Amino acid sequence: MSPKGKTELMWLLGVSAILVVSAVANIAFIDGHTANIAQPTDLQTVPANSTIINVTGSQWVWEFQIGNQTYFNSGNGHSGALPLVLNHTYTFEVTSKDVIHDLSIPEFGVQSYAVPGHENQVSFKPTKLGYYYFECVEYCGFEHYEMRGYIDVTNGGAS
Amino acid sequence: MSFLPVSYQALPGVVAGATHYVLEVMIILTILGVLTFYIYYLISSRKEAVEEAAGKEGYTDSSEYVRDKMYGRKRKADFSMFIYDDAKSIGLRYIFTGIAFLFLAGSFGVMMRVSLVDPNPVVISPVLYDIFLTQHATLMIYMFALGVGFGFAYYLLPSYLRLKKDNMGTLSSVAYWIWLLGGALFVVSRSSMRWYMYPPLSLQLTPYGAGMANWLAVIAMELIFIGITMASIIVLKIIFLDRADDMPLSKMPIFAWSIVFTLIMVVSSDPPLMVGLGMLFYDFFNPVFFTASSNTVLNFAILFWFWGHPIVYIAVLPFFGLIYEIIQKFTGGKVYSYSSAIIGMGTLLIFSELVWGHHLLNSGLGVDWVLFFTTTSFVVVIPSAISVFNWIATLWTADRIRLSTPMLFVINAIFDFILGGIEGVMLANDSFNEIAHGTYFVTGHFHFIFVGMTLGVTMAVFYMLYPTFSGGRVYNERLAKWHFYITAFGSFLMSFSWSVGGFLGMPRAVAGYFPFFQPYQDSAIIGGVIIGIGQLVFLYNIATSWLKKPVTDTNNAFETVEDIPAAVSEAEPLAKDTQAVNGGE
Repeated sequence: MSPKGKTELMWLLGVSAILVVSAVANIAFIDGHTANIAQPTDLQTVPANSTIINVTGSQWVWEFQIGNQTYFNSGNGHSGALPLVLNHTYTFEVTSKDVIHDLSIPEFGVQSYAVPGHENQVSFKPTKLGYYYFECVEYCGFEHYEMRGYIDVTNGGAS
Repeated sequence: MSFLPVSYQALPGVVAGATHYVLEVMIILTILGVLTFYIYYLISSRKEAVEEAAGKEGYTDSSEYVRDKMYGRKRKADFSMFIYDDAKSIGLRYIFTGIAFLFLAGSFGVMMRVSLVDPNPVVISPVLYDIFLTQHATLMIYMFALGVGFGFAYYLLPSYLRLKKDNMGTLSSVAYWIWLLGGALFVVSRSSMRWYMYPPLSLQLTPYGAGMANWLAVIAMELIFIGITMASIIVLKIIFLDRADDMPLSKMPIFAWSIVFTLIMVVSSDPPLMVGLGMLFYDFFNPVFFTASSNTVLNFAILFWFWGHPIVYIAVLPFFGLIYEIIQKFTGGKVYSYSSAIIGMGTLLIFSELVWGHHLLNSGLGVDWVLFFTTTSFVVVIPSAISVFNWIATLWTADRIRLSTPMLFVINAIFDFILGGIEGVMLANDSFNEIAHGTYFVTGHFHFIFVGMTLGVTMAVFYMLYPTFSGGRVYNERLAKWHFYITAFGSFLMSFSWSVGGFLGMPRAVAGYFPFFQPYQDSAIIGGVIIGIGQLVFLYNIATSWLKKPVTDTNNAFETVEDIPAAVSEAEPLAKDTQAVNGGE
C-alpha cells in the first residue's frame, strides 16, 4: 500500500473509531431511555407509577390536563406554571387540535410532536428543583412564538 | 396599494382580505406580463438578425448556428445570454439569476435578524416575519444554491469535458424559464408556511395561519421541480454522452463527478415530494390525502424529508467539486487522492437517502425509527471526513499556496464545514437531539455550512471568472479581501451565537423569544448585519469595476484555450451580428 493510502487509512480509522464510540453510546442511551422517546401512545409501555398528563396543542395554546386540573399557556394569558414533583415520573400524552406542534422542555430532554389525529407519549422524570421553560419548536403559524411557558418543579406537598 | 400583509390585521374579515389579495396578485402579474412582452420584443428583434446571419451560412435552424459558432467558447456576461441558448449562455443565466436571488433572500434574512432586536415582535409583525422566514429558506435553497450549482455546471463543463456537441440548448432554455417562473411565483405568493409545507398548516388559507396564497406557492414549487428535473437530465446527458472521446469516466475532472452525483440525487429523490405536492394541491379543494381521518399528516412530512435531506446535500455537493478544482489551481499540484475524492462524494449520494428520518426523530414514529436513523447519521460522516481529509492533505502536501481572495474563501469554507459537520455529529445523538431539535443549534449547524461553503465558494468562483464575465475587467483586490474578511467574521459570529443559544434551548423560527435569550440573539443580529455589509462591499466592487474600461485579457483559470480544440482564442464569431442588432457599439 502506498504511503498516501496509509495516511488516508489511518485518518479514516481514527474518524471511524470516534464515530463507533458515539454510535454505541447513542444506541446505549436509546436502549436505556425508550420511554423518553416520543412514540405512539401505548398504555402497555407507560412506566409504572407515572402520572399521565394529557397535553393538547392548538393554535396557539398548550393545555396540560392532570386529572381534573387544567393548566394552559398562550400569548393572551396563562394559568401559572405547570407544577411537577421532583423525582416523580410523568408521562405526556401529546396531541393536537389543528396543526403540527412540537412540545420541547430542553432542560429535561423532552420533545414530542403534537400531531392532529395521532397521540404521542413521552415519559420523563424531573431531577432538578426549580423553574424551567417549555416551548413550541415546530412552526405553527402567526403566534407560534407565544406557545411557551414554565414548569415549576417542587418537592411535592401541595400537588 | 399596500404590499405588506401587515395591513390584513386591520381588515375586518377574511373575505375582504381575499379580494384585496387577488387584486394585488393581478396587478403584480400584469406588471410581469408587460415586462415579459417587452423582453420578448427585444429578443425577437435580435433573433431576426441572427437568423439572417444563419441563413447566409446555410443553416435552417438559427439556434444550431449559434451553438455551432459559440461552442465551448468563453462568454462575456451581457443581455445576449438570455437570447442565445448555447450551454455557456444557459450557465451564465443560472449564475446571475442565482446571485440575484441570493441578494433578495439575503435581504429577507437581514430583515429577520434586525426584527429580533426586541424579545417581542415590535419591529415587524409576526406575519411578515413568517413570510421572510419561508421566502429566505426556499429561495436560498432552490433558487440560489441550486441555481449557481446548475450555472457552474452548464458554464464550466463544456470546457472541462471538451464537449463534442451542444445540442439541447432549447430544452435547457425551457427548463431555465420554468424554474425562474416557479421562483418568481413563490415570491409573489408571499406564503408563510415555511419550506416544510406541513399540511394542516399550509392548508390554512388565512394570513393568521400560514398565508393566503399557499396554493400558488405549491404550484410554484412544482414548477421549480419540473425545471430542475429537466435541467438535471440534460446535464447528465451532456456529461455521459457528449464528453470528448478521449476522456474516460475514470479521468473526468472531480467537478464533473460532483455534478453527476448531485444530479442523480435530484432525479432520484424529488419524485416523492413532487407527488406529495400534487396531493397537497388536491387537498386544498377536497381534503382526501393528508388531512382525511384515515391518514396522518406525518405522511406528508415523510414524503417531504425523503427529498428534504438530499436537497441539503445537493446544495453543497457541487461546491465540494469546485473546492477540489480551486485548490488545484492555487497550489499548482494535483489533488491528493483522485479516487477517494470520487468515493467520498459517491457514498454521500447513497447515504443521503438513508438518513432523512433524523429530521423526524421526535415526531412519534417510534424507537426503532430513532435507532435506525441515528446510527446511519453517524455513518454518513465518513464520506464527508474523506473529502475534508483530501482537501487538507492536498493543501498540506502543496509546495506553495497562493492566498488570493478565492483561496481564502475556500479555506474558510473548509473550516466552516468542519465546524458545521461536528455540530451535525452532535445532533445525531438522540439524547442531544431531544434538546436541540427545533432550536437555533440546527440553524447554526447548517448556516456554518451554507454560508461558509455554498456562499463562499460561489464567491470564489465568481471572482475567478470575473475577467471573462466582464470582458477583461479586474475587480479591486483590496475590496475583495475586505469582502472575504467581513463575510467570514460575520458568518462565524452569527452561526456561533446561534449554536450557543440553541445549546441552551433557544427555539428557531420564532418572531419573539424569552428575554433571557437576548444576548445570543443580539450577537447573531450583529453577525447577520455584518454578512449583509460584506455582500454590499462585493456589489460595490463589481459595480465600480464593471464601469471601468477593460484592462486585461478575458482568460480565466477554469477555461483554458487548449482544452477546446475548436476554439480560437480571441475570435468572437457573433460579434458582427450582435453589433448589428445592438446598433453598433
